[in-house]
Amino acid sequence: MSSSTLPGMEVRELGTRQGLRLIELNIGAQHPASGHMRMIVYLDGDVIVDVDPDIGYVHRTMEKLAETREYVRVISTIERMTIIDACNVTLPYVEAVEKLLGIEPPPRAKYLRTILCEINRISSHLYGLGLGGIFLNHSTMYMWAFGDREVFLHLANMLTGARLTHTYAIMGGVRRDLPQGFRDAFEKAKRYMTRRLKEYDKIFFNNPVVRGRLENIGVLPRRDAILLGASGPNLRASGVEYDARMTKYAAYEELDFKPVVGEAGDALERIWVRLREIEYSLELIDRALKQLPEGLFFNEKYVKMAPPAVKHWIEKGRVRLPGTYIRLKTKPGEIITRAEMGHGEITYHLVSDGGIKPYRLRIVTPSARNLILFKELPKGHLLMDFPAIYGSLDYFPPEADR
Amino acid sequence: MENRSEKEIPSRKRPNLVKAHLDAITIGLKTLLTRKPMTMMYPEVSEEWPEGYRGVIIYFYDKCIGCSLCSQICPPRAIKMYKVPGDKRLRPGYDIGRCIFCGLCVEICPVDALAESKVSDKVFDKLEQMVFDPIDWTFFTKDLQKEQETRRNKVRVIIDEEVGLRYESTVTK
Repeated sequence: MSSSTLPGMEVRELGTRQGLRLIELNIGAQHPASGHMRMIVYLDGDVIVDVDPDIGYVHRTMEKLAETREYVRVISTIERMTIIDACNVTLPYVEAVEKLLGIEPPPRAKYLRTILCEINRISSHLYGLGLGGIFLNHSTMYMWAFGDREVFLHLANMLTGARLTHTYAIMGGVRRDLPQGFRDAFEKAKRYMTRRLKEYDKIFFNNPVVRGRLENIGVLPRRDAILLGASGPNLRASGVEYDARMTKYAAYEELDFKPVVGEAGDALERIWVRLREIEYSLELIDRALKQLPEGLFFNEKYVKMAPPAVKHWIEKGRVRLPGTYIRLKTKPGEIITRAEMGHGEITYHLVSDGGIKPYRLRIVTPSARNLILFKELPKGHLLMDFPAIYGSLDYFPPEADR
Repeated sequence: MENRSEKEIPSRKRPNLVKAHLDAITIGLKTLLTRKPMTMMYPEVSEEWPEGYRGVIIYFYDKCIGCSLCSQICPPRAIKMYKVPGDKRLRPGYDIGRCIFCGLCVEICPVDALAESKVSDKVFDKLEQMVFDPIDWTFFTKDLQKEQETRRNKVRVIIDEEVGLRYESTVTK
């Protein structure tokens, strides 16, 4: 048995099968195209026989950490699962605690949450598109997508005061009101991005070289997508009309939301769904800004309890919290909430025993659900197609490992 | 959805092969020749952060009432209470190395003794220098405020329709 080492890969011969050599190829865990995970690929010549994804390199015990912290301190912890999508990943947790506390955020807070969620979704999709591009060695798409992502990080920075880890939605509402000049800045960003999407189509999506790499690769039929439990754009690209935003959390009910659905289910269709979702998210933010109701951005109960010496900040659009906010006591019970992230649907199961900390917080992240596709999709494809399939799935290892 | 021919699916509308190649080359060349780069030359120039940016936390000793709420809400336990000689109350100390700049301590403070500065790129030589006791934190606050005002070559980031992000010097000529 012979073995050899390539940059970031290790090859080992497993013996022969019907006269053909079967090779075990380790991609990762330090390989730039694998992220924080290892892919054990079994090859028959150049054809992939099986893929065994080896995960867990970035496991950070998020569920256990949540049990040791007070409700408000958990938010900035679980945010670190997916820092590129920070509002979407914390929103269902915040809504779960709100329901157990029996408080309702004011309508303006719901709209502001929706706006940040959609900004996050755009930057998350651009991140996925950029990585999808570099997996195909298309470095132009990588640079363009990451550059344009800066525009939306700047918008998020204006709204929340942080580029990535916003900790924006907290129990009772949001932490900041809409700043002055945000509407103008968004209007410009929208016009810029709409024009850029047309350029993306030209250089990436309709580029015959890219189409040759992506078309009819990694086809996920509608039935299999449902059976395997795929989620997010990967599910919708197979023609399933399901999006967690249809369950009408935050302000999506008033915004008349309709999901973007593809049909073909191959790698190209998954990229197409992401591009169209960016377009649709811009439209949703526009609608939310137009319909944005007046009023408080934080629950009245806590605003009244805020210390009198700092109340002038609330009029300036910054929240000030009462001292009791640290030890919020929920009523005992359990609750399941869900939300749509850029990568797919995230589900929280929160169990409370009536204390100041969660008794148990179970998190099912979209990347953890999409992981099974790595095993199923590449079978029968050439090794060359593997990066294309990986790039189209928009997998985020720290989120899957939690 | 059933039995639809491939051509009806929007993503399957195959563009003309020659035109698509030419389009890709044209847009690439056009960007290369006409577009200004979006890069900010960071150490030489630095960003003037927008209003309400959450940077390093600064502390005002005279306003503090020693209620310890900030140390209780701090998610990574970067703020801890210290005993100060000659002071009956416990006062907060700060570990920059642990701070995640979430700004929750500023929001829970009942008397405005804590605030967010606009500096987030502070450099230290040693790990021990990143831990401040209440007195050190007060002096550090003064240094930081001075640095915030005197830092030169600052640019303001502006969203632009044509290039995405544009940088404008804050110094008016």
